[in-house]
Amino acid sequence: MRIELKKFGNMLTSRQDGKEALAAIEPQLKTISEHTIIEIDFEGVITFTPSWADEFITKLSDRFGEKIVLTHTENPSVKATLRILKELG
Amino acid sequence: MELVKKLSIAKTAAYLGVTSTTLRRWDKAGKFLARRTSGNQRYYYQQDIDLYLQDIFAQAKAWVLGAPKEPESAFYCPTSSEFKGRLSKLQNALAKTPDLKEYYSIIVAVVGEIGNNSFDHNLGNWPDITGILFNYDVNKRQITLADRGQGVLRTLKRVKPSIENDEVALITAFTEKISGRAPESRGNGLKFVLQVILERDIQLEFYSGGATALVTKKSKKLSVQKVDVYYSGCLALIRY
Repeated sequence: MRIELKKFGNMLTSRQDGKEALAAIEPQLKTISEHTIIEIDFEGVITFTPSWADEFITKLSDRFGEKIVLTHTENPSVKATLRILKELG
Repeated sequence: MELVKKLSIAKTAAYLGVTSTTLRRWDKAGKFLARRTSGNQRYYYQQDIDLYLQDIFAQAKAWVLGAPKEPESAFYCPTSSEFKGRLSKLQNALAKTPDLKEYYSIIVAVVGEIGNNSFDHNLGNWPDITGILFNYDVNKRQITLADRGQGVLRTLKRVKPSIENDEVALITAFTEKISGRAPESRGNGLKFVLQVILERDIQLEFYSGGATALVTKKSKKLSVQKVDVYYSGCLALIRY
Protein backbone atom coordinates (compact mmCIF):
# COMPACT_ATOMS: atom_id res chain seq x y z
CA MET A 1 0.00 0.00 0.00
CA ARG A 2 1.36 3.41 -0.95
CA ILE A 3 0.27 6.69 0.64
CA GLU A 4 1.25 9.75 -1.38
CA LEU A 5 1.33 12.61 1.09
CA LYS A 6 1.21 15.27 -1.62
CA LYS A 7 -2.43 14.31 -2.09
CA PHE A 8 -3.03 16.08 1.25
CA GLY A 9 -1.21 19.21 0.07
CA ASN A 10 2.40 20.40 -0.11
CA MET A 11 2.23 22.12 3.29
CA LEU A 12 1.47 19.66 6.09
CA THR A 13 1.66 21.67 9.30
CA SER A 14 -1.28 21.50 11.71
CA ARG A 15 -2.49 18.78 14.08
CA GLN A 16 -6.01 19.16 12.76
CA ASP A 17 -4.91 18.52 9.17
CA GLY A 18 -2.86 15.51 10.30
CA LYS A 19 -5.91 14.06 12.07
CA GLU A 20 -8.09 14.61 9.03
CA ALA A 21 -5.54 12.96 6.74
CA LEU A 22 -5.43 9.89 8.97
CA ALA A 23 -9.23 9.73 9.07
CA ALA A 24 -9.28 9.91 5.26
CA ILE A 25 -7.09 6.81 4.82
CA GLU A 26 -8.71 4.85 7.65
CA PRO A 27 -11.04 2.83 5.34
CA GLN A 28 -8.00 1.63 3.33
CA LEU A 29 -6.08 0.73 6.50
CA LYS A 30 -8.91 -1.51 7.63
CA THR A 31 -8.65 -3.65 4.50
CA ILE A 32 -4.89 -4.30 4.45
CA SER A 33 -3.53 -7.74 5.19
CA GLU A 34 -1.19 -8.61 8.03
CA HIS A 35 1.97 -8.62 5.89
CA THR A 36 1.28 -5.57 3.74
CA ILE A 37 4.01 -2.94 3.70
CA ILE A 38 2.74 0.65 4.01
CA GLU A 39 4.88 3.03 2.00
CA ILE A 40 4.55 6.69 2.96
CA ASP A 41 5.84 8.77 0.06
CA PHE A 42 6.95 12.36 0.83
CA GLU A 43 7.53 13.36 -2.76
CA GLY A 44 6.07 16.82 -3.45
CA VAL A 45 5.83 17.78 0.24
CA ILE A 46 7.45 21.19 0.85
CA THR A 47 6.72 22.05 4.48
CA PHE A 48 6.34 19.36 7.09
CA THR A 49 6.08 19.77 10.88
CA PRO A 50 6.08 17.60 14.02
CA SER A 51 2.48 18.62 14.81
CA TRP A 52 1.14 17.11 11.57
CA ALA A 53 3.53 14.17 11.82
CA ASP A 54 2.43 13.38 15.41
CA GLU A 55 -1.13 12.91 14.25
CA PHE A 56 -0.30 10.85 11.19
CA ILE A 57 3.16 9.25 11.09
CA THR A 58 3.42 8.59 14.85
CA LYS A 59 -0.04 7.04 14.98
CA LEU A 60 0.62 4.83 11.96
CA SER A 61 3.98 3.80 13.43
CA ASP A 62 2.36 2.94 16.76
CA ARG A 63 -0.17 0.76 14.94
CA PHE A 64 1.89 -0.86 12.19
CA GLY A 65 5.47 -0.61 13.48
CA GLU A 66 8.05 -1.96 11.06
CA LYS A 67 5.55 -2.37 8.26
CA ILE A 68 5.86 1.39 7.68
CA VAL A 69 8.43 2.48 5.08
CA LEU A 70 9.19 6.15 4.41
CA THR A 71 10.36 7.25 0.95
CA HIS A 72 11.54 10.50 -0.70
CA THR A 73 12.41 12.11 2.63
CA GLU A 74 15.10 14.48 1.25
CA ASN A 75 13.26 17.76 1.91
CA PRO A 76 14.91 19.69 4.84
CA SER A 77 11.71 20.10 6.89
CA VAL A 78 10.80 16.43 6.35
CA LYS A 79 14.28 15.35 7.48
CA ALA A 80 14.26 17.67 10.52
CA THR A 81 10.76 16.56 11.57
CA LEU A 82 11.50 12.84 11.23
CA ARG A 83 14.68 13.30 13.22
CA ILE A 84 12.94 15.00 16.15
CA LEU A 85 10.18 12.38 16.14
CA LYS A 86 12.87 9.73 16.44
CA GLU A 87 14.75 11.59 19.19
CA LEU A 88 11.75 12.49 21.31
CA GLY A 89 9.43 9.68 20.34
CA MET B 1 -2.39 76.52 12.54
CA GLU B 2 -0.13 73.59 13.34
CA LEU B 3 0.28 71.23 10.37
CA VAL B 4 2.02 68.42 12.21
CA LYS B 5 0.05 66.65 14.93
CA LYS B 6 1.87 66.56 18.26
CA LEU B 7 1.05 63.99 20.94
CA SER B 8 2.00 63.99 24.59
CA ILE B 9 3.88 61.01 26.02
CA ALA B 10 0.70 59.81 27.75
CA LYS B 11 -1.34 59.97 24.53
CA THR B 12 1.43 58.28 22.56
CA ALA B 13 1.68 55.55 25.18
CA ALA B 14 -2.07 54.94 24.97
CA TYR B 15 -1.91 54.95 21.17
CA LEU B 16 0.85 52.35 21.10
CA GLY B 17 -0.61 50.33 23.94
CA VAL B 18 2.40 50.71 26.24
CA THR B 19 3.10 52.76 29.38
CA SER B 20 4.75 56.20 29.55
CA THR B 21 7.58 54.57 31.52
CA THR B 22 8.19 52.20 28.60
CA LEU B 23 8.33 55.14 26.18
CA ARG B 24 10.85 56.93 28.43
CA ARG B 25 12.96 53.77 28.47
CA TRP B 26 12.72 53.41 24.69
CA ASP B 27 13.75 57.06 24.37
CA LYS B 28 16.80 56.57 26.60
CA ALA B 29 17.76 53.38 24.77
CA GLY B 30 17.39 55.11 21.38
CA LYS B 31 14.74 52.58 20.36
CA PHE B 32 12.00 55.16 19.77
CA LEU B 33 13.19 58.72 20.25
CA ALA B 34 10.97 61.43 21.76
CA ARG B 35 11.14 65.09 20.83
CA ARG B 36 11.45 67.72 23.56
CA THR B 37 9.64 70.99 24.23
CA SER B 38 11.60 74.05 25.37
CA GLY B 39 10.61 73.02 28.90
CA ASN B 40 12.20 69.56 28.27
CA GLN B 41 8.86 67.71 28.13
CA ARG B 42 8.77 64.69 25.84
CA TYR B 43 6.35 64.70 22.91
CA TYR B 44 5.93 62.83 19.62
CA TYR B 45 4.83 63.69 16.11
CA GLN B 46 2.11 61.52 14.64
CA GLN B 47 4.36 60.78 11.65
CA ASP B 48 7.06 59.42 14.01
CA ILE B 49 4.49 57.07 15.49
CA ASP B 50 3.27 56.00 12.05
CA LEU B 51 6.83 55.28 10.98
CA TYR B 52 7.41 53.29 14.13
CA LEU B 53 4.27 51.25 13.50
CA GLN B 54 5.45 50.34 10.02
CA ASP B 55 7.90 48.11 11.79
CA ILE B 56 6.01 44.81 11.80
CA PHE B 57 7.38 43.74 15.17
CA ALA B 58 6.44 47.02 16.85
CA GLN B 59 2.98 46.63 15.36
CA ALA B 60 2.56 43.10 16.72
CA LYS B 61 3.90 44.15 20.12
CA ALA B 62 1.53 47.11 20.31
CA TRP B 63 -1.37 44.77 19.52
CA VAL B 64 -0.43 42.22 22.19
CA LEU B 65 0.14 44.87 24.86
CA GLY B 66 -2.69 47.24 23.97
CA ALA B 67 -6.40 47.29 24.72
CA PRO B 68 -8.30 44.37 23.17
CA LYS B 69 -9.18 44.99 19.55
CA GLU B 70 -8.88 42.97 16.37
CA PRO B 71 -5.68 43.62 14.41
CA GLU B 72 -5.79 45.02 10.88
CA SER B 73 -7.55 42.48 8.70
CA ALA B 74 -4.54 42.09 6.40
CA PHE B 75 -2.56 40.48 9.24
CA TYR B 76 -5.36 38.92 11.27
CA CYS B 77 -5.95 35.17 11.27
CA PRO B 78 -9.03 34.54 13.43
CA THR B 79 -8.98 30.81 12.65
CA SER B 80 -6.31 28.21 11.92
CA SER B 81 -7.57 27.81 8.36
CA GLU B 82 -6.93 31.50 7.68
CA PHE B 83 -3.48 31.07 9.19
CA LYS B 84 -2.88 28.14 6.85
CA GLY B 85 -3.85 30.28 3.86
CA ARG B 86 -1.43 33.05 4.81
CA LEU B 87 1.30 30.53 5.67
CA SER B 88 0.96 29.13 2.17
CA LYS B 89 1.53 32.66 0.78
CA LEU B 90 4.66 32.95 2.92
CA GLN B 91 5.85 29.59 1.59
CA ASN B 92 5.40 30.85 -1.98
CA ALA B 93 7.17 34.14 -1.22
CA LEU B 94 10.16 32.46 0.45
CA ALA B 95 10.43 29.89 -2.36
CA LYS B 96 11.33 32.78 -4.67
CA THR B 97 14.27 33.90 -2.50
CA PRO B 98 17.35 32.26 -4.09
CA ASP B 99 19.59 32.06 -1.01
CA LEU B 100 16.83 30.37 1.02
CA LYS B 101 16.44 27.49 -1.40
CA GLU B 102 18.04 25.02 1.00
CA TYR B 103 15.97 25.89 4.04
CA TYR B 104 12.89 27.99 3.32
CA SER B 105 10.75 24.96 4.17
CA ILE B 106 12.36 24.99 7.63
CA ILE B 107 11.39 28.66 8.14
CA VAL B 108 7.80 27.92 7.10
CA ALA B 109 7.75 24.89 9.43
CA VAL B 110 8.98 27.07 12.35
CA VAL B 111 6.28 29.67 11.66
CA GLY B 112 3.70 26.89 11.28
CA GLU B 113 4.58 25.36 14.65
CA ILE B 114 4.50 28.68 16.52
CA GLY B 115 1.24 29.81 14.89
CA ASN B 116 -0.52 26.47 15.25
CA ASN B 117 0.59 26.27 18.89
CA SER B 118 -1.38 29.46 19.54
CA PHE B 119 -4.53 27.88 18.13
CA ASP B 120 -4.01 24.44 19.72
CA HIS B 121 -3.35 25.81 23.21
CA ASN B 122 -6.09 28.44 23.26
CA LEU B 123 -8.95 26.62 21.58
CA GLY B 124 -12.11 27.67 23.43
CA ASN B 125 -10.03 29.62 25.97
CA TRP B 126 -9.14 32.91 24.30
CA PRO B 127 -9.30 35.62 26.98
CA ASP B 128 -10.49 38.37 24.61
CA ILE B 129 -9.51 38.40 20.90
CA THR B 130 -9.67 35.02 19.14
CA GLY B 131 -6.84 34.12 16.81
CA ILE B 132 -3.45 35.51 15.93
CA LEU B 133 -1.68 38.35 14.21
CA PHE B 134 0.68 37.04 11.53
CA ASN B 135 2.74 39.36 9.39
CA TYR B 136 5.95 39.22 7.40
CA ASP B 137 8.28 41.52 5.52
CA VAL B 138 10.32 39.67 2.92
CA ASN B 139 12.50 42.74 2.28
CA LYS B 140 13.53 43.10 5.93
CA ARG B 141 13.50 39.28 6.28
CA GLN B 142 11.30 39.38 9.36
CA ILE B 143 8.23 37.42 10.41
CA THR B 144 6.04 38.21 13.42
CA LEU B 145 3.38 36.16 15.17
CA ALA B 146 1.35 37.27 18.16
CA ASP B 147 -1.59 36.05 20.20
CA ARG B 148 -3.53 37.40 23.16
CA GLY B 149 -4.04 33.93 24.58
CA GLN B 150 -3.25 32.22 27.89
CA GLY B 151 0.52 32.42 27.51
CA VAL B 152 3.05 29.64 28.01
CA LEU B 153 3.12 29.56 31.84
CA ARG B 154 -0.63 29.19 32.31
CA THR B 155 -0.82 26.60 29.53
CA LEU B 156 2.01 24.45 30.89
CA LYS B 157 0.90 24.75 34.52
CA ARG B 158 -2.13 22.64 33.61
CA VAL B 159 0.15 19.66 33.05
CA LYS B 160 3.14 20.61 35.20
CA PRO B 161 1.94 22.64 38.22
CA SER B 162 5.48 22.84 39.66
CA ILE B 163 6.56 25.40 37.04
CA GLU B 164 6.94 28.51 39.18
CA ASN B 165 7.52 31.37 36.76
CA ASP B 166 7.57 32.53 33.15
CA GLU B 167 11.31 31.92 32.68
CA VAL B 168 11.03 28.28 33.77
CA ALA B 169 7.92 27.92 31.59
CA LEU B 170 9.82 29.07 28.50
CA ILE B 171 12.81 26.84 29.22
CA THR B 172 10.42 23.92 29.68
CA ALA B 173 8.52 24.71 26.49
CA PHE B 174 11.68 24.88 24.38
CA THR B 175 13.63 22.02 25.91
CA GLU B 176 11.39 19.46 27.64
CA LYS B 177 8.94 17.10 26.05
CA ILE B 178 5.66 18.21 27.57
CA SER B 179 2.25 19.05 26.21
CA GLY B 180 -0.11 21.72 27.45
CA ARG B 181 -2.96 19.66 26.04
CA ALA B 182 -3.06 16.91 28.66
CA PRO B 183 -3.75 14.02 28.56
CA GLU B 184 -2.17 14.10 25.10
CA SER B 185 1.43 13.05 25.50
CA ARG B 186 2.87 15.22 22.75
CA GLY B 187 4.48 18.60 22.45
CA ASN B 188 7.49 18.51 20.18
CA GLY B 189 6.74 21.80 18.41
CA LEU B 190 8.96 24.27 20.25
CA LYS B 191 11.74 21.69 20.71
CA PHE B 192 11.71 21.32 16.93
CA VAL B 193 11.78 25.12 16.53
CA LEU B 194 14.83 25.43 18.79
CA GLN B 195 16.67 22.53 17.19
CA VAL B 196 16.28 23.74 13.61
CA ILE B 197 17.04 27.41 14.24
CA LEU B 198 20.20 26.52 16.16
CA GLU B 199 21.42 24.74 13.03
CA ARG B 200 20.66 27.53 10.60
CA ASP B 201 20.94 31.26 10.05
CA ILE B 202 17.68 32.03 11.84
CA GLN B 203 17.10 34.25 14.86
CA LEU B 204 14.17 34.01 17.24
CA GLU B 205 12.79 36.32 19.93
CA PHE B 206 9.86 34.77 21.78
CA TYR B 207 8.01 36.61 24.57
CA SER B 208 5.41 35.25 26.96
CA GLY B 209 4.41 36.53 30.39
CA GLY B 210 7.34 38.40 31.93
CA ALA B 211 10.05 36.48 30.08
CA THR B 212 11.77 36.23 26.73
CA ALA B 213 13.51 33.34 24.98
CA LEU B 214 16.18 34.50 22.60
CA VAL B 215 18.28 32.64 20.07
CA THR B 216 20.55 34.94 18.08
CA LYS B 217 22.48 34.03 14.96
CA LYS B 218 25.72 34.72 16.87
CA SER B 219 25.07 33.12 20.25
CA LYS B 220 23.66 29.86 18.92
CA LYS B 221 22.12 28.95 22.23
CA LEU B 222 18.83 29.49 24.02
CA SER B 223 18.89 32.41 26.42
CA VAL B 224 15.87 32.99 28.66
CA GLN B 225 15.57 36.26 30.54
CA LYS B 226 13.12 38.22 32.63
CA VAL B 227 11.63 41.30 30.95
CA ASP B 228 9.94 44.39 32.42
CA VAL B 229 6.89 44.29 30.18
CA TYR B 230 4.22 41.61 30.74
CA TYR B 231 2.92 39.80 27.65
CA SER B 232 -0.30 38.02 28.53
CA GLY B 233 -0.14 35.89 25.37
CA CYS B 234 2.81 35.18 23.09
CA LEU B 235 4.83 37.32 20.72
CA ALA B 236 7.47 36.04 18.32
CA LEU B 237 9.91 37.68 15.93
CA ILE B 238 11.80 35.52 13.46
CA ARG B 239 14.68 36.97 11.43
CA TYR B 240 16.32 34.96 8.70
